[in-house]
Amino acid sequence: MNLESRRIVFLALFILVSIIYSVRLFYMQVMDDRWMSRAAEVSQKRIDVKPPRGILLDRFGNKVVANKTYYNLMFVEDKIENLDTAALAKLLDLEYHQIEERFEEIRRSLDRKTRSKKTSNDTVVNDYRSYMPYAFERELTADEISSIASELIYFPGFYEEPVSMRDYPYPNGGNIFGYLNEIRPHELEKDRYFYKMGDFIGRAGLERYYENELRGQKGTKFILTSARGKAVDNFAGGKLDTLAVQGPPLHLGLDIELQAYGEELMKNKLGCIVAIEPETGEILAMVSSPSYDPNLLVGSRNIRRNYVELNNDSLKPMFPRPLQAEYPPGSIFKLVQALAGLQEGVITENSGFPCTKSMVGCHNHPTANTVQQAIQYSCNPYFYYETRRLIQQGKDKNTFKDAEIGVRIWEKYMHSFGLGIQLETDIYGLRPGVIPNVEFYDRWYGKHRWAWSTIRSNSIGQGEVKVTPLQMANLAAIMANGGWYFTPHFVKSIGEDGPKPAYLVKHKSLVDEKYYPIIQEGMRRVVNEAGGTARRARIENIVVAGKTGTAQNPHGEDHSVFIAYAPFDNPKIAISVFIENAGFGGTWAAPIASLMIEKYLTREVKDVAKEKRILEANLIIQ
Amino acid sequence: MSRSLNTIRSSWDWWLIAIILSLMVLGVVNLYSAAYNPERTFLFDIKTLYGKQIMWMGIGIFLGIVISLIDSEFIRKLTPAAFIVVSILLIIVLFSRPINGARSWLGFGSYGIQPSEFAKVTTGLMLAYLIGQGRIKQIAKKTVYQVLGLVFITMLLILAQNDTGTFLIFTAFFFVMYREGITFDPIILYFLNNLLGLRYKSTWVGVHFIPVLFGIIFFSIITLYFAESKHSFSFLPAIDVPGWAVLASVVTLLGIILALVINQFASLRAKRKMLSIVLISYLGSILLIGAVSFSYLKVLQSHQKVRIDLWLGKIEDKDGEDYNRNRALAAVGSGGFAGNGYQQAVLASPQSNHVPESETDFIFCVYAEEWGFVGSLILVALFTFLLVRLIIIAERQRSRFARVYAYSVAMIIFYHFAINIGMNVGLLPVIGIPLPFFSYGGSAMMAFSVMFFILLKLDSQRKDVLAT
Repeated sequence: MNLESRRIVFLALFILVSIIYSVRLFYMQVMDDRWMSRAAEVSQKRIDVKPPRGILLDRFGNKVVANKTYYNLMFVEDKIENLDTAALAKLLDLEYHQIEERFEEIRRSLDRKTRSKKTSNDTVVNDYRSYMPYAFERELTADEISSIASELIYFPGFYEEPVSMRDYPYPNGGNIFGYLNEIRPHELEKDRYFYKMGDFIGRAGLERYYENELRGQKGTKFILTSARGKAVDNFAGGKLDTLAVQGPPLHLGLDIELQAYGEELMKNKLGCIVAIEPETGEILAMVSSPSYDPNLLVGSRNIRRNYVELNNDSLKPMFPRPLQAEYPPGSIFKLVQALAGLQEGVITENSGFPCTKSMVGCHNHPTANTVQQAIQYSCNPYFYYETRRLIQQGKDKNTFKDAEIGVRIWEKYMHSFGLGIQLETDIYGLRPGVIPNVEFYDRWYGKHRWAWSTIRSNSIGQGEVKVTPLQMANLAAIMANGGWYFTPHFVKSIGEDGPKPAYLVKHKSLVDEKYYPIIQEGMRRVVNEAGGTARRARIENIVVAGKTGTAQNPHGEDHSVFIAYAPFDNPKIAISVFIENAGFGGTWAAPIASLMIEKYLTREVKDVAKEKRILEANLIIQ
Repeated sequence: MSRSLNTIRSSWDWWLIAIILSLMVLGVVNLYSAAYNPERTFLFDIKTLYGKQIMWMGIGIFLGIVISLIDSEFIRKLTPAAFIVVSILLIIVLFSRPINGARSWLGFGSYGIQPSEFAKVTTGLMLAYLIGQGRIKQIAKKTVYQVLGLVFITMLLILAQNDTGTFLIFTAFFFVMYREGITFDPIILYFLNNLLGLRYKSTWVGVHFIPVLFGIIFFSIITLYFAESKHSFSFLPAIDVPGWAVLASVVTLLGIILALVINQFASLRAKRKMLSIVLISYLGSILLIGAVSFSYLKVLQSHQKVRIDLWLGKIEDKDGEDYNRNRALAAVGSGGFAGNGYQQAVLASPQSNHVPESETDFIFCVYAEEWGFVGSLILVALFTFLLVRLIIIAERQRSRFARVYAYSVAMIIFYHFAINIGMNVGLLPVIGIPLPFFSYGGSAMMAFSVMFFILLKLDSQRKDVLAT
């Protein structure tokens, strides 16, 4: 046996193994991308950096929604040494046992169900990692943290971490701004790119409508993490990182002082004030009473504490009445009836109708011989006659068919005043109100089973007609402008980019502009002439034009309604005031409107007596 | 000792020295990255792993130089003493406190040594000593028993330490015995002749038992890998052929082709012998496929199958049992063609620490991730070159002692290289074995240095001895 030749076996073995390894290395390192992506999966981590939310400024540049730094008390379990539980409990003002409970709670909150690959049983996996930071206490204010922070050196493993949350310098406008709350799973599903669990998202009001603008642009940081999840280095030297960009400030048309004043006036009253700048459609104030201080709903701690209470309040402070409460408009509706009648030619400026109280109740006033007088005196029978002519135009011999044609025409006019349609205001939840149409009555009474006589209450804004306070204010703006409006909106400019394009579209009513001065004159007389129903709305040196309404309320005291604009020849403000259960429109709504107008136009209120009367009034029926 | 410098220069194997020095330098350079301590960046800082490794290397070289001053004949004579000393240490170490489940450390103060690392050298020497005793080519039966006893007892001591990796290394010596003609044929013959009543003088399987055994293991692994898989062929529609059947068909096909080729080209004398080898190999292979497949598919319980599948990489449990290997493979694989660059490892860097044991058993990950395929290929080539060189050196020895020792060195290095790289590239299961000159470890560093210095010394004096 030649043993020396056996060296071939060895050499063959060595070379074979080397070739196998070389091929394997070539395959792993050069051909197969699997390990490359696996390495990235293991080591790279994307950290989202969220900017503070965009702020909101009122029309004079006052910050109305800002950000404030709060602090989370964080801990890393691995770094905790010799924890003095008693001292920590004392520092945080907790019971001794609560400390352990809190740790346990945090740990349990990270339980996650998963399916085991090997046994395919559901098992609970806990994602808690002792080397990762978690919040022991969340959303502490600067005051709260300041007393804690100085002691934290005695508690290694604990530290404070700033978080940006909302701050409202004025305790007003809760129903306008809305609030932020932790994202819900279905919201998270919609935008997994931006949000993650525990993020805050606009829940109502402008915060919700302008969520995409306010949240800004998320920044991304790519880091390399160690096996223990610790950041080791920037990935690719930070070249792929993007900066977080704060959302642009929203410039509101809102006048926060007017808003505050309105809320003050509306104390102890149920109802709304909506003020609009007629020539732009910018909402100057939108008071919903009762309201709430938006600071009550900042952060999950406050929300937990206050939300239920606010939500269960029988007066519904979180219900945005100007948008969602649909009221019968009452006599302010006579304005649009008159305009439609003029345009349709069923009346002229000088048409007169007798005040036939047998048809519908009215108060004592001189006979209205012109449209202006009818508005000035708010004569109910006059508008019954007028609306009957509008609805029953005699276009068909059959009264029922004629009424159908009339209602179809009438409906179009009403829609052109922004009534019965959903205004595209930049706030969610706006209701369209009700302008009953043919189908509505057909469903109710049957086809050709109704005529004007059936639906005549609508003539004076009762019956089936429903209007939201925002639509009333918009109506006032149409009156002020003489026939057109911009959709009412809050945000007059997103950053420096101007408003949303929809708010630059002028909407014209179907009534020719030449008819408006007639009605405007009537509105002027309502306030300024003897026999007018809103003499309480007079302001020294400012000519106010308005229209009262008293919406009959089958459930109790009538609602007091008033819409107005001023100054008469160069309108700067159009306003609607709606006070629930306050009786006649001239008594409460009109003076409140005048105070608001005076406040807005002159920045101060001279008629102290009027102001005092309103402030002292309690119109909530207990 | 009166030879001039010139003869020393010419008698030392400078190729071997060059390869080893380059491995040492590469190893330290790589360890500096693998164990980089940003607070102690000085290469020779004794408090860092690279500083220590250099220290161990220094001690190793110093010991080596001392050894190289000793005459090779004297080295041979010292062998039994060295072996006994290390064996005693191997026994003492059994009473030490276990570290990571293995009792392999003997502590001296804050330092410790692993006698099992030195046992590789002394066992190699002792093997050479025993085999080299005889003056005739045929090895006496007594020597065979001595040799087997030596290796088995040492392996038993290592096994008692619970150090599976090192235990495996000692099977390297069976290859050395194979080279020296020690066969397991008597055992095979005993079974064949006495139990089956045949009359063989020798069997091919018995003579080449060690390579055959490794062939069988290799083939079994391939069988395991394919046993369960299903294959469909376009010429066999609607039938899923099980993997074991495919394997059997391939073997049959190969056997037929081989037989035909031999029948056509081999000389008449060799034909019979070669055909019978092919036939026996074929029958053995089929038997092996059947046995392995059957036990894998029918006998093994599911959890045992899972273990095998994990090892074979058929199923992945990347964050569980397979964590180490998965991270190691990701590190090696993400090196790409040219690597991330020195000290630019992402997964295997000491800061991120995704790869466990990246200074010792998994140090190749750091190297492969930083130097990529190019670097890895250079490393594999260096080791291959080293191994081939060792065989060349071994075969040119006149003394049997030196040759056996050289083969021992070659096989030990081969085992370390093959197992370590194999597990780093996912071809072998995770077995804790250092990569020579790369993995951090004082005992291994010193043992390897001494091992090579002894070989260099023996080789330098190869012409002084009479051929045996």
